[in-house]
Order: sequence, then structure tokens, then C-alpha cells
Amino acid sequence: MNEPVAITGLGVVSPHGDDPQAMFAALLRGDSALQPIFPELPKPAAAATVAFDAGRWFTKLQLAGVDRVSQLAVAAADLAMRDAGEPTDLDHERIGVYAGCGMGGAAALEAAYRSGNVAGGRVPPLTIPAFMPNAPAAHVAMRQHVLGPVLTYSVACASSAVAIAEAAAAIQRGDIDLAIAGGSEALIVPGVVLAWQAMQTLAAFEPDDPHGAARAVRPFASARSGFALGEGAAFIVLESAERARRRGARVHAQLAGWGISSDATHLTKPDAPGQARALRAALRRADLAPRDVGYCNAHGTATRIGDVVERDALAQVWGDELDALRVSSTKALHGHLLGAAGALEAVVTVLALQRGELPPNMSGGEIDPACAMNLVLEPGTRAPQLRAAISNSFAFGGTNAVLLFTRA
Amino acid sequence: MSSLKELQYLIHEKFGIDPAELTPEASLREKGFDSLALVEFLFAIEDHFKISMSDEDSNIDTLGQLAAAVDEIRARAPLSKTA
Repeated sequence: MNEPVAITGLGVVSPHGDDPQAMFAALLRGDSALQPIFPELPKPAAAATVAFDAGRWFTKLQLAGVDRVSQLAVAAADLAMRDAGEPTDLDHERIGVYAGCGMGGAAALEAAYRSGNVAGGRVPPLTIPAFMPNAPAAHVAMRQHVLGPVLTYSVACASSAVAIAEAAAAIQRGDIDLAIAGGSEALIVPGVVLAWQAMQTLAAFEPDDPHGAARAVRPFASARSGFALGEGAAFIVLESAERARRRGARVHAQLAGWGISSDATHLTKPDAPGQARALRAALRRADLAPRDVGYCNAHGTATRIGDVVERDALAQVWGDELDALRVSSTKALHGHLLGAAGALEAVVTVLALQRGELPPNMSGGEIDPACAMNLVLEPGTRAPQLRAAISNSFAFGGTNAVLLFTRA
Repeated sequence: MSSLKELQYLIHEKFGIDPAELTPEASLREKGFDSLALVEFLFAIEDHFKISMSDEDSNIDTLGQLAAAVDEIRARAPLSKTA
């Protein structure tokens, strides 16, 4: 069995702010960050956006050619390194950046289409370096002076969960001493919202209802109709447990296992056997049994099919012990951060373990009998006995990633 | 006709650098302009003055040299009536 990897730093730039504890407290209360966006679009749209002050991390000069997706990444990675105590004993060739990103710089691309498609319009010269999907990882590396592997994982909704798993594997192999791993996504621009609406996966809501947008996403509920987009970034600092001990670092939790699998069945339709393979792989690597795991931060996108398939996958692996597993999807509150979702939800899961508290699944009504599980329905739920928890990320493309955390 | 003042204003507006900090002799690179920031600045200059800079202008290092290059291009091109 492999030794668990220590998580010594957490950094978020999220729809609920950039303080992980305050973010968790808001989630625990069930506060939704979803709100209406782009009223000019033909169909109502909701999203969870970040109130971000780029000036805290960049001079205006440094912002030349840096898309929002990279700005958020630099900020979250910096906050994670600060939270890790800004270790000074580092061989920078033995630090790695493992960054998930689904789309890259959507704002840069949208601006280029808009300005380039009008008579006499010109496309900004730094559009390419701004939108390339590996720009966030590169900007984090430049800011933190990372000279080891600087890698980008673009695996749709599993991007940053895969990035964290890959970082942990590199630490266990001894390739690197410390990893800054996570992801960022910033695609709340009209063109991308229209594309997601066309895909028929976004939650419908009544625009005249003042709470319509905030309560639009209802994971596992009978009345669910899809997700809402979110933006943000989350990074964690990973190092070997031995190294963390040696330098006296505070350990938030341990990454004890992970599982990555592929459905190999359909590009967008989820598959319970594929998800179950990832769940079993994570348990195997952590050398734990299903009954050892007390909480699951579900992928829970609130699509008609996705929630049922995830429930079935959990039921296949947990069997008779499914009732002992508390489950919630926090996407009702922070939206779906796509390439950053796995990392943000990893931070939520780590904090749930650390604090012994479970964020609620705000379903806003009756639970679909086909999704019957021990959902966390009440805000402020305590779980002092919690010892291990998982975070699920299931991607378009059929890649499934499960991260398994244990209490430090 | 010198474009210096307008360039200083543009740099202030776009990059937040105080005109007093950026004398005509100062090296733009030493003030933090890397090649990418300079490319973006040249693009803004083209938009502002409605001119077209040449590729060689991206090798310019001081604001004075940049102002001279802009002056030369503006002298060659007839000013548009709306400028």
C-alpha cells in the first residue's frame, strides 16, 4: 500500500469568495451564489461568478495577454502556497504544477470573434497566448518559480480531479517533492453560455421569481433540470507525509487514494459501471472498504440522467452499506466549475473532513425515488465521526475520477 | 509634432505607469515591458493614432525611440479629417 499524500495548502477563488473557511461556512448554510446573467440573451441564464480584484495579484502591465482563467489560477495557487506556509526549503526543479482546465481563455476568444468579425475590426495580438488552455499552468509556474513538470489536464469536468491524482502519483513515485495541483475555469461569456444552452444541459428557471436563479439547480430532485455554469479556481499543495512532518507543516487532510476510469461507451452519456470502476479503484488504492467512507461530495450535476447513473454507481459499490454514506452535491450552490470543479469540490471535501461538517444538498423539493440515497438535506449537518470522504468527477468523454481523502 | 505626451498618456491609461516614471530615455524593458506587453502596446498605439507600425518597431527599447517612430509614420501619412 502506498503512503497517503499530505495536503498542506488550500487556495480558492470561488463564487463564495477566496477564504476557504468562509466559503465552506457559506456552503454549510446552503447559500447559493447563482444569479441571473446576460439579460440580453434570448433564454434566461444563471451562473455563479467570482468577484475578483486582479489588482491584488497583477499590475496592469503584467495583465497584458493574461486571460481571466489564468488570473484566477495565479491567485488561487498563490493563496494555496501561502496557506502551506510558503515553504522555503524547496528545490524548485522538484516542484510541479498540475492544472486542470476545460476550455482555456474563453473571454479572449470571444473578444477576438467579436472584434475580428466587424468591418475594420482587429483581433488583439495576444489572443492565442491568452486563450491557450495551458496558459493558467504556465502563469502559475512563472509566479511560483516552478522548474519541474508544469502540466495541463483537459478532461472536461474531471480535469482538475485528474490533475490532483496525477500530482499525488508523481509525489508517491518520488518524481517531485511538492505539487501545486488544481484547476481554473472562466467561461461565463455570452457565446459559451449560448453553446451550453444549446446542449440542453442547463437548469431552467423562472426569471420573474426573485429566487429563481439561486434555486435553479436541484441535484437528485424530481424537479431537476440541469446545472448552471460557475467560474473560479482552486489549488491545493501536496507533499509526502514524511516531508510535511519534517518541516512541521499543518496537514489539512490526506489524499489516500484515487481512481481513474473510462466508460468507453458514449461521449456524453454517463455510465454506471465506468463510474463504479473509478470508485473501486480509489478504495483499493486507499486500502479502505466502502463502510470506511462516510461522505461523498457527488458529481451531482442535476441532469435527468447523470444523477441516476451516479446513484446507481454508488449503489453498485456500496451495496447494502449505501445508507451509511452521506451524499451531497454542492453544485446547487457554486455552480458547475467544469475544469475547476474537481479541485473546488476536493477543497470542500477536505474541509468537510477537517471540520466534521457536511455541506447540504439543496434539492429544493422532493427527491427522485430513482436517486434515493442518504442525502445531506439539512444545512449545518455535523459529522464528528467522519474519517474518510470521496469527491466524484465524471467527465464528458467518459473519463471518471474519484479522489479519496482521509482525516489527517 | 511629438507623440511623446500622448504615448505617456496611453501607457498610463493602459498599464498604470505614471508619466513621470517613464522618461524618453528610459528602457521600456527595464520598466517591466516584456516582448508580449510591447506587442500589445504597439497594437494600442496603432488604434489610437490610426497608423500601422512595422514589425521592426517591436525592437524599440525607449519611449523616445517609440515617439520618433510614431512621429515619422504620422508625418508620412496624411491626417484623417476626424483625427
